[in-house]
Amino acid sequence: MSDRDERIVDPATMQDIMRHRLTRRSVLRGAGTGIAGFSLASFLAACGGDGGGNGGGNGGNGGNGFDIGQIYAGEPGDQINFANWPFYLDQSKNNEGEVFHPTLRRFAQETGIQVNYEDVINDNAEFFGRLQPLLAAGDDPGWDIIVMTNGRYFTTLVANDWVYPLDPDRRPNFDANAASWAKDPFYDPGNTHGMAWQSGITGIGVNRKLVNGEVTTMDDLANPNKVGTNSVGMLEGDMPDWVMINLGIDPTTSGPEEWRDAANWLRMQQESGTVRAYYGNEYLPELQNENLSATMAWSGDVLYSEVWLQYDMEFVFPEDGALLWIDNMMIPAGSQNPVGAMEVMDFYYDPEIATMVTEWVLYMSPIPQTQELIEANAAQAEEQGFKGYANKLYQTARSPFLYPSDEFISRTSFGRDLRTQEETEEWDAIFLPISQG
Amino acid sequence: MRRGVDTPERAEESRKRTLGSRRRLVPYYLLSPAGLFLTVFFLLPLVLMIYTSLQSGGLLAGGFTFTWEFGNYTEVLGQYQRQFLRSIQYSAIVTVVALLLAYPLTYWIAFYAGKWKTSILLLILAPFFVSFIIRTIQWKFILADSGPLFGPIKDVGLLPDGFRVLATPFAVVAGITYNFLPFTALPLYVALERIDKRLVEAAKDLYASRWQAFRRVVWPLSIPGVFAGFLLTFVPATGDYVNADLLGGPGTTMIGNIIQQKFLTELDYPEAAALSVILMVVMLVLASLYARILGTEDVERAAGAQA
Amino acid sequence: MSAVAAATRPVERQAPAPLHRPNKRWTRFLLPVYTIVMIVYLSSPIVMMILYSFNDLPGQIDRQSARFWGFTFDWWKNVWNIPGLPGAFRNSLKIAFPSAAISTVLGALFGLALGRYRFRGTRGVDFVIFLAIAVPEIVLGASLLSMFVLAGFPLGLGSILLSHIGFSIAFVAVTVRARVQGLDRNLEDAAQDLFASPVTAFFKVTLPLITPAIMAGFLLAFVLSLDDFVISNFVAGQESTFPLWVYGAQRIGIPPQVNVMATILFAAGIIAAITNVVAQRRRG
Repeated sequence: MSDRDERIVDPATMQDIMRHRLTRRSVLRGAGTGIAGFSLASFLAACGGDGGGNGGGNGGNGGNGFDIGQIYAGEPGDQINFANWPFYLDQSKNNEGEVFHPTLRRFAQETGIQVNYEDVINDNAEFFGRLQPLLAAGDDPGWDIIVMTNGRYFTTLVANDWVYPLDPDRRPNFDANAASWAKDPFYDPGNTHGMAWQSGITGIGVNRKLVNGEVTTMDDLANPNKVGTNSVGMLEGDMPDWVMINLGIDPTTSGPEEWRDAANWLRMQQESGTVRAYYGNEYLPELQNENLSATMAWSGDVLYSEVWLQYDMEFVFPEDGALLWIDNMMIPAGSQNPVGAMEVMDFYYDPEIATMVTEWVLYMSPIPQTQELIEANAAQAEEQGFKGYANKLYQTARSPFLYPSDEFISRTSFGRDLRTQEETEEWDAIFLPISQG
Repeated sequence: MRRGVDTPERAEESRKRTLGSRRRLVPYYLLSPAGLFLTVFFLLPLVLMIYTSLQSGGLLAGGFTFTWEFGNYTEVLGQYQRQFLRSIQYSAIVTVVALLLAYPLTYWIAFYAGKWKTSILLLILAPFFVSFIIRTIQWKFILADSGPLFGPIKDVGLLPDGFRVLATPFAVVAGITYNFLPFTALPLYVALERIDKRLVEAAKDLYASRWQAFRRVVWPLSIPGVFAGFLLTFVPATGDYVNADLLGGPGTTMIGNIIQQKFLTELDYPEAAALSVILMVVMLVLASLYARILGTEDVERAAGAQA
Repeated sequence: MSAVAAATRPVERQAPAPLHRPNKRWTRFLLPVYTIVMIVYLSSPIVMMILYSFNDLPGQIDRQSARFWGFTFDWWKNVWNIPGLPGAFRNSLKIAFPSAAISTVLGALFGLALGRYRFRGTRGVDFVIFLAIAVPEIVLGASLLSMFVLAGFPLGLGSILLSHIGFSIAFVAVTVRARVQGLDRNLEDAAQDLFASPVTAFFKVTLPLITPAIMAGFLLAFVLSLDDFVISNFVAGQESTFPLWVYGAQRIGIPPQVNVMATILFAAGIIAAITNVVAQRRRG
């Protein structure tokens, strides 16, 4: 456990850390608006253009042929459809055992708008695959808010005008409370199309009972003596970047040579016989049900299982590095209720609401204030005699995975953003065959 | 209406004649609504798949266009040979195992169950009222590493702790066999049930042992049923992907999984369609061969018996 | 056929005394025991499903696990509590009823035509029906998706319904056809000899006789639609049906309520099947 001083991280320091990483990357891609805009434009030009596209993405009018005034002209409706990943929203049971989401109930009480929340997203590629035909045809996608990780699908949605630009005048909470890393990220300058939901890291989830010895590095996952055969899970979407990081490669500047190195490691792992399957979010029940001894995992999932569900597992930060990602709320084009959607999105930037969420999901919140609030809740619970509960909250507020130190962040890296058809095809040609057996 | 006829016989003839011309059209009237539906929602899609398979393009490159791209086929055949062969291999094993499992069962029901026939048949088919997704998920729990089956066995020490069934080819083949067992059993049952029991008795009267009676009387007569079962199992099993998805691992990927992935996740419609067409053609060839040799009645009778 | 040939051999010739293996008692039990074993094997997932609907999961855990912790009625009391599940279940029913109804009507007409009349193209139609039953579902699902996308037809409950009717018709047709073929033509001719018009003859004679097959066809089409996964997976768009919901849920863990619902459906199916059999027996 880290030193008390490092636990409460100075937001400014966090900002610097994130920015430093960003400027390194900006050499290639540009963190600044202008260069990002240029990349977007050149990307679109390379694609031969799709309906309604010429670069920009510079906030303001939202470029790309969308008129913000028009989109947000209506009334907030009665119902919002919110698609999200599993275990990503606070959850509780009432006296009859009925499952509900306290923050959504609060929202309904305060605004009268019902939110239909479904955790249907398991994998970016898969969800995108379901959404794309509808978006391309201009049909109603059925969702008002979706949550996509930064990366190629986020980029594709924006580039093809398949998401609405956000109205910068409708997010006062965001403007007031968002961490600086959530504002103006390199993949979405000016937050024109998304607002961070949570951030997290990809590391290793370990079932202590089923492994021999300590599992601390990526290579341990290819070692049958430590983890057994047929009992390791790999995250299909994350693994190329994750393996590159652990091989000492910076994914953001990588090219096909480096991708092949990662692919070779993955093949080597396959031959060692340790891999059971390549997963999206479905690795978690396998880990919980003891079908897996160790697996690539997302921090919050494992922490939640360990802390609240009392499963015997732990989250390990691999010695050589971890993948950092940010999940973003977006509004798909064709949504019937963008006004209501923005209300919901901004609602979650209220520190108190954000605290309710973070205490449950155990991921990195984009609202730094949550850390103090959780500490306060913990102290209060302790006073009231709920020792166990208080301890869990203290664990949450002081977790390096939720409120990471600078040193910690410096050992993580974002993934490779694929932007052109050629890159995508090359990447797929190298990595897809691995999971396709 | 009968008009201008003077005898009852001529009335009869005349009536039959007028009805005759209308009669000829009746089947077409009866066939047309369903026929139309089938054409639009069954035949047309299959044809359109061929069209799609000859397109080229990509999602980020502005969509797909029809370009007689036969390269899709060569590309796909080259890249996914292993999964194709694996699917055929698994399917073949499944069909043989299912046959071996189902034959003694249906034989006993058809020949020895007497008045309990329908009840036992119901008992056997009842599990298949439940959606096969749920049944397969239950198998996943049953076969789990520390589940109700292997947990106690491992605790007792009969199996090493590292023993696994899930995520192996065995689990996938077992799952497919389970799910397709009725498709094998029913045609077999129907064929066996139709065999005149007196033939067996006659054989016994001629001092044939039970085994000889079986080998020389029952088995030959049941062969059409065996073939029907074979076809109704082998063809759909080759395209199955749910069992490989739920019970398998990376080494068990079947061609169905690839098609599904390509269609729904990669959105590579042309290549996915090419794969489907190849699968369809192989199955069509098999089906036509069978139909030509043995006729389609047994299969249809079997499907009818499912109800 | 050797048996028939054997039967026609003159009986006077003394057949040599065969080496009869005496009929040991235990071989008699082999097949029945095997049948019981098979029944156990076939019903094990169902037993598992029903049993685990009572699984008393510890603590906060509310997703099914492989381990059985004890008995509880909690999940039976709170069947409808999972967000998304009741909606998906309703969708399944909303599709299954119309699908069964429409495909029964269309399929019955089709089967009637196939069974009674000889016309040009019988063989072709036979082959198409055969295809519809034997084609791998993934090929059909993928083709339907391609078609809907090409035609710009919106994916949702409508596309699912149309697809389900498409593949159910063949099954109903075959069921009805089998029954129609077994009918005694003379009955209807007799009715007509008594000056009944063909239409009346049909309604008063044929139809009652094939009703069991039509009912069976309806049941079959209903079950096929309710349980369908592969085709729905392709053409559902953003909508969800019960099997689709379960498939999605199993990736993060299925709630025990799924076991409860499946048990209810199973029980309903059994009752319907038994009723059908009993009703058929009554008709004689």
